[in-house]
Amino acid sequence: MKNNIIILGGGQAGIYAAREIRQNDTEANIKILGEENLLPYERPPLSKDFLLNKKNEDDLYFHSSDVLKNENIDFENISISKVDFENKKLFSKNEDIYTYDSLLISTGSDNKRLSLDNNLNDDVYYLRNLEEAKTIKEKVSDKNKITIIGGGFIGLEIASSLSQLQKKVTVIEIGNQLMGRIIPKQIADLIQKTHLENGNKIILNKQIDKITKKNGINDILLSDNSLIQTDFIIAGIGSTPSVKLFENTNLKLDNGIVTNQFCETSIKDVYAAGDVCNFYHPFYERNMRLESYQHAQNHGICAGKNIAGVKTEYNSIPWMWSDQFNLNLQLTGICDDYDEIIERGNDINNGVIYFFLKNKKIRGACGVGIMGKVGRDIRITSKLTEKNTIVDKQILSDQNQKLNKLIQKQ
Amino acid sequence: MSEENWIEVGSTDSIEEEDLIRFDHQDKTFCVYRLTDGFYATDGICTHEAVHLEDGLVMDDEIECPMHQGIFNIKSGEALSPPACEDLKTYPVKVDNDKIFIKID
Ligand SMILES: Cc1cc2nc3c(=O)[nH]c(=O)nc-3n(C[C@H](O)[C@H](O)[C@H](O)COP(=O)(O)OP(=O)(O)OC[C@H]3O[C@@H](n4cnc5c(N)ncnc54)[C@H](O)[C@@H]3O)c2cc1C
Ligand code: FES
Repeated sequence: MKNNIIILGGGQAGIYAAREIRQNDTEANIKILGEENLLPYERPPLSKDFLLNKKNEDDLYFHSSDVLKNENIDFENISISKVDFENKKLFSKNEDIYTYDSLLISTGSDNKRLSLDNNLNDDVYYLRNLEEAKTIKEKVSDKNKITIIGGGFIGLEIASSLSQLQKKVTVIEIGNQLMGRIIPKQIADLIQKTHLENGNKIILNKQIDKITKKNGINDILLSDNSLIQTDFIIAGIGSTPSVKLFENTNLKLDNGIVTNQFCETSIKDVYAAGDVCNFYHPFYERNMRLESYQHAQNHGICAGKNIAGVKTEYNSIPWMWSDQFNLNLQLTGICDDYDEIIERGNDINNGVIYFFLKNKKIRGACGVGIMGKVGRDIRITSKLTEKNTIVDKQILSDQNQKLNKLIQKQ
Repeated sequence: MSEENWIEVGSTDSIEEEDLIRFDHQDKTFCVYRLTDGFYATDGICTHEAVHLEDGLVMDDEIECPMHQGIFNIKSGEALSPPACEDLKTYPVKVDNDKIFIKID
């Protein structure tokens, strides 16, 4: 009997899982259920090249419908509103029923929303999907003063893009640095400097007290009683795993769907991958949740292998990037568990990297430079991390010495 | 094939093994690689965004873009890993008297 495999969520993790299953199982029925009426597409350009009109919708799709057809992967545009794990069934609002033998959950994440106590909710915009990117692009076209609430990656990328479209941009951040959740302050400060040099205003350490609207202008009252007047508001205040559907089921949740290193959830034959997972990472010996392109792809592939019966451990060293103005920021591994920090370079033109070491071994690194200047070193760092190499700190800190020496030295 | 199209890049010892150099000619940028079995050349700019591959990492027969880790096969130019999806142009290379030449069309 053919295995009936359903992939719930048609994003990056979902499509990579589907194709990997097909590679390993030519027989299975594979169906992706996605609530966006779009084939799986890349989200990174939404806050960057799509807003900047350098990429259009057709450039975003991972694969054409022909690829899916050739590989006999079915995509159905439907939103699932109920699950019955016991009887292996999913239900749509109209009570369409989908029965599976194996299920992959790849529902991604949802933007956190500001809690506004008046009816201004429709006047604050968010960015997660193509629909929202189109709305923002259209709405800002005749606006001048834009305020971004939240100085995280997505907020700052939008700030960079809109600044390049000649908008006057203000970013309001509640914390005492930009990207405070994961980026070291030294790097955040270098990026802040670039925003300032390009005319963006950055306000740190301030909360929003109230937003009111009069004659099309928004008044944002801050915690220190200062007032910002703006034509348009976009909030990027973080995200939460998309798990609402599973809240009253016995699927184990804890900051996402809890999975082991094989992408298995607490329920037999139910797997999860991508942004929605709080997965066990054997190398770091702890659980983590990541929102990154590389992770969504590799985790999806790993889930696909396991669903197809090829038992595979997920041990990929985390990696992500963010592009703002002509800067490219990269992060590998984890930067919150260390006993020593080593700095490499001090000029953003050649790239600046901070390495985070524990017991003389690299646990993670974060760097920034003009257009890919840190890419090679960060990539080598991922390899050194993965191989648990005891590193020569002198080479690490000297930009004139190539890091691949450290790999060859082993 | 006219001889004029072969452009001198430099001497063979200007590139370490498993490494590359950037070569600019007129208004174009190329990357010239030294792999274990010889020399190869491709366009110098990633097909994903306008980023110089000279800052990328050469691993076996592959060049990885330093910006978003798109991967290309150096010998065929094939885009192997997203976000790169468009192939990279490749160029013939010859070595004559310890000098590297690439053929630009
Ligand atoms: C604006 C933006 C910019 C980004 N930039 C970068 C970057 O520069 N670098 C980087 O490394 N990462 C970046 N990311 C992160 C990266 O895109 C995500 O980590 C990745 O898309 C996660 O893939 P996923 O498959 O887990 O989820 P998603 O791609 O979000 O896909 C989940 C899909 O599931 C669908 N779904 C959810 N619930 C249901 C349901 N009940 N029924 C049916 N379908 C459902 C959703 O509609 C969605 O289509 C960015 C993300 C965004 C939003
Ligand atoms: S610029 Fe090369 S992969 Fe994006």
